[in-house]
Amino acid sequence: MDPRALRRFRKNKGALAGLVLVLTVTTLGVAGPWLAPHDPNRQFRDTLVLADGLPAGPGSVPGHLLGGDPLGRDELSRLMYGARVSMTVAYAATALAVLIGVLVGLVSGYLGGLVDGALMRFVDVVLSMPFLLLAIAMQRVWSAPGLWVLCLVLGVLSWTTLARVTRAKTLEARNHDYVAAARALGYPHRRVLLRHVLPNVAGPIIAIATIMVAQMILAESALSFLGLGVRPPTASWGSMLSEAGGLVLGMPRLVVYPSIFIAAAVFGFNLFGEGLRDALDPKE
Amino acid sequence: MRSTRRSDGSAAGTRGDGWRRVRGVAVVVVLAALSVAAVRHWPEPPIGPRYVGAGDPTPRSGGTFVFAGGSNIRTFDPHVAYDQLSYMGIRLLFDGLLDYDRDSHLVPSLAVALPEVSNGGRTFRFELRRGVRFHNGRELTADDVVWSMRALLSSESASPGYPFYKAIVGAPDFHAGKRDDIPGIKKLGRYTVEFTLTEPDHTFLNAMALPFAYPVPRENYERWAKVGPDAVGRHPVGTGPFELVRWERGVEAVFKRFDGYWNQPHPGPDEMVFLENLAGPVATARFRNGDLDAIAGMPAVDYLFFKKSRAWKPYLDQYPGVTIWGLAMNCEMAPFDDVHVRRAVAFAINRKALSRALQGRALPTGQLLPPAIPGYDPDLPDRQYYDPERAKEEMALAGHPDGLAAPVTAWIGDSDNSRLIAQLWQQDLREIGIDVALRQVSFATYLEATAKKDTAQMFPSGWNMDFPDASNFLFLFDSHSIHPSHSDNRSFYRNPELDRLLAKARPETDPAARVKLYREANDIVARDAPWAFLYTPLEMEVWQPYVMGYRPHPIWLEDYRDVWLDLPRHRVPQSRYRDEPARAEAP
Amino acid sequence: MIGFIARRTGWALFATLCVIVVVFALMFVAGDPAATTLGPHASREAIHDFQVREGLDQPILAQLASYLGVGRCVRKNAKGYTRPDGSRGFCGLLEGDFGVSYSAREPVANVIARRVPRTLVLSGMAMLFELLIGVTAGIIAAFRRHTWTDTGIMFGTFVGISLPTYVTGPLALMFFAFLLGWFPVGGYGVGAWEHIRHALLPALILAVTGAATYARVMRSDLIDTLRDDHVRTARAKGLGPMAVLFRHGVRNALLPTVTLIGLSLPFLVGGAIITEKIFAWPGLGLLTLEAINNLDAPMVMAVVVMFAIMVQIGNLLADVAVAMLDPRVRG
Repeated sequence: MDPRALRRFRKNKGALAGLVLVLTVTTLGVAGPWLAPHDPNRQFRDTLVLADGLPAGPGSVPGHLLGGDPLGRDELSRLMYGARVSMTVAYAATALAVLIGVLVGLVSGYLGGLVDGALMRFVDVVLSMPFLLLAIAMQRVWSAPGLWVLCLVLGVLSWTTLARVTRAKTLEARNHDYVAAARALGYPHRRVLLRHVLPNVAGPIIAIATIMVAQMILAESALSFLGLGVRPPTASWGSMLSEAGGLVLGMPRLVVYPSIFIAAAVFGFNLFGEGLRDALDPKE
Repeated sequence: MRSTRRSDGSAAGTRGDGWRRVRGVAVVVVLAALSVAAVRHWPEPPIGPRYVGAGDPTPRSGGTFVFAGGSNIRTFDPHVAYDQLSYMGIRLLFDGLLDYDRDSHLVPSLAVALPEVSNGGRTFRFELRRGVRFHNGRELTADDVVWSMRALLSSESASPGYPFYKAIVGAPDFHAGKRDDIPGIKKLGRYTVEFTLTEPDHTFLNAMALPFAYPVPRENYERWAKVGPDAVGRHPVGTGPFELVRWERGVEAVFKRFDGYWNQPHPGPDEMVFLENLAGPVATARFRNGDLDAIAGMPAVDYLFFKKSRAWKPYLDQYPGVTIWGLAMNCEMAPFDDVHVRRAVAFAINRKALSRALQGRALPTGQLLPPAIPGYDPDLPDRQYYDPERAKEEMALAGHPDGLAAPVTAWIGDSDNSRLIAQLWQQDLREIGIDVALRQVSFATYLEATAKKDTAQMFPSGWNMDFPDASNFLFLFDSHSIHPSHSDNRSFYRNPELDRLLAKARPETDPAARVKLYREANDIVARDAPWAFLYTPLEMEVWQPYVMGYRPHPIWLEDYRDVWLDLPRHRVPQSRYRDEPARAEAP
Repeated sequence: MIGFIARRTGWALFATLCVIVVVFALMFVAGDPAATTLGPHASREAIHDFQVREGLDQPILAQLASYLGVGRCVRKNAKGYTRPDGSRGFCGLLEGDFGVSYSAREPVANVIARRVPRTLVLSGMAMLFELLIGVTAGIIAAFRRHTWTDTGIMFGTFVGISLPTYVTGPLALMFFAFLLGWFPVGGYGVGAWEHIRHALLPALILAVTGAATYARVMRSDLIDTLRDDHVRTARAKGLGPMAVLFRHGVRNALLPTVTLIGLSLPFLVGGAIITEKIFAWPGLGLLTLEAINNLDAPMVMAVVVMFAIMVQIGNLLADVAVAMLDPRVRG
């Protein structure tokens, strides 16, 4: 990042706050399992489930700060493990989307002509796929799959914006003198792309990808909310939300906890991403 | 010039820092006041009923009754319907020759009396009630009964109920299209019908009380058959106390009272509105607001609220369903081809913990037959129960003292509830060294896979009875119910001794002898453990104080045909429930 | 120009076809709808009859061809299929027939026709709220740029973007509808006024994200426009700030917002699956969810086709508009 952009970014308080949030959530994702006080899948049937079958509330049982979930599992530990699952899915799906999107965009913009036409039409096709519906259908096909299918589904369906932006930026870069010169000098395509085109494209891609992580967190929890997410008993924020769904009238806390984490993570990535975009691409 | 200073849109400018500070303080004060107000006046949810009735005990007609169900009606065609909510709708619109009273006894309905039985228990003669009219005004006669049975038994109806009537003389050949008449069904007069069976079958009267056998008008079927298959299921005409006004699948069904109903007086609401696919917190909240008149089934917290509530106590009923839930194991697939492994599973599951996780909405059990079914044995000698030590012994007997080397896969359906329960027994089985991988699939895939040979190792399974007879449960383990791709015997359990007992019990006319045979069969199934039997669910239904004449039916469960409304209802202040101890909420 | 439009239309049709093929294949591998449609108690015979009747025993290519209406019809009931009005039925998408729903057992088109107006009520009101709240907030933020008001509004929009409906929906339902009683607790109601009353809360919840987006777009565009020369000129002429804002700023800044509305058109019709589920609003979204759960292929396909066509129309209009403004693209 060039120093001016860095300065602009540092002056943006919102973006800094976003960065702090992003770092916190990511750390939680990495270290959550070590920080968690209990096994997230262990059912404390004698302590965390009260006589009438309801889970114990926050603070009422020593050692379980946030109380239990409907099966008597430690809520705090599940939230922390959930962070890892949610963050893994979000990062992996984004990485996949960036990989496909940048590749398609670079090739399309750099080669142009027929290849460009065909690829852009392909983007149109993927764009007309109803995202949630297709994700649900694909989940059904693989019937309660592991994490990787979830990442695959989310990644494969959301690279189109990235491809379009990359293509536009590549087209722009292709007209620059130094790229034209490099091509005229007969450098191999790969070298021109990597050395001269990609750096031009990188800025906006990073910004978009950051915001995309936020959308992936939302998508994962939306699928889990509809009961189509990770495999039980794995905890993710979305699956916790879905397991607490029927209890919202009487026990809103079980809905509120994962909601706070989801909202905070999404909020952080959005702020950070916007900040990056403003810093890298100053309009004002 | 003033506009240039503000050219960046900055608003602060002119009035200086003092104003800004005052404004900041004001904002803080207002926010603080608001939060204090919010805490002091945090709204209270309604504790008891918001409305009560007029207090007039005379049954009378009028009003609109609004109720809800968590799923939807599939069809109003009695020939095809085979699920609880469709039965609920059909029982508003149709009557059978026979019915069950509130003690589960068979009673006549469209028939004048229970049929005369002759010919060693093979022949049943029904005498029809006179003056019964369909919603289209035509009188019901013996021809309608004969035609309805023919339509039901023909292969065109694709009725899932056909197997219940196979014993009628000529029925299988007629169903297969090999003959054009059914000698076993005869009209003897305008109001008399006679059925003849190939062999004595005690359960036949139960079959005649099932909605499959409800008489339907031929002209209505012929009219809608032209439009398309199943069209008649959306345009039902019956003899029941209500007519269908409109039905939008997945949204609502609206009924109105039928003035020509034969069983007069029959006071009831002028209109009934059934809201489909309405469940969970939305349904309960609406009910407690007084927007719904009755609900069945609710989320855990709401269940506990009603259970503890004194104000609601007179208006709810809790009863064990006639349903058995268990964990089925495929007896043809390793490791469950070993009876010891199956027994180990049956001993390993803590049914009490399971019941508690369901807020006590499950009666723990260790046998196939629910308590309401004759043949149930409270002291079954080889009863399955929770005993981790015995479970480990059985594992050792099977040659796996340290548990199974490979994990087993359990197929579960996609409801939140089945996921919740599965995680409970998953943990129990881990304790005895069986690692279970849960494979959550759509309900469709679940049904398809579990009925297929060599496909699903393990899966939760349930059975909801068709009629109150043990045979309706035990046939699930009859080796004749095995089929390579559409098996009713989903655990693929084979035991010649069981088959023999069931074949012997079917024609047995002496109830005591039958029950003895069934008790023996029940014992075998518990001992061989093709399923680990877990629990019978407890159902709860709640209704508003002004809903009268309603009680859940032991066979039909939600049965609203005798409801009447004590209107006008009026709103009562919640303060009247102030001494209410039940605050199940927000622990 | 006409050539360009024709070419783009051709591509749009091709893209729609691709979507149809992909989703059709997915529905095919997703499982056998007979079991869900007929229920767990269904007999073998009934399941077999169902499969034969709907042509599910045929190879997938024959089924696809039949669905599109380019091959022999595999639906047994379709041959003699007669509508209540006496007209004979079709078999195939190209003839305008979406087929008969497995679970509702009536023509898919009828079911969808009943649901579309409801979804339009909900989405229309949501869009209204989005615009009202979003544009107003955007204008205020731009006008009071770099003040606490602006920061507060922008913070609010970030929160709005970060809160999914499945978080806000249940909580709002519990608090505003159940505890405070300001709104009905979910559902659809009877009669036009009741429909609108029932739609208020779900529409507001649905509008949160959109309003936040509009506010952000409006603010940044307005700030850009206010920097333009003609605005400076107007200001130099001595027009008051409010007059400048509304006469020159807002009018110009609205254009991108209008484009955004155009692009959200498919979602207006496609419905909001999650919101409709939370509030038990019987629109297209809820229908879609039920159809997928029931493996009701004709219903799922119809919704997908409608959605794909809407997206293509939106893209087409956007492309044509760009092409008209920028002749280079026509190429």
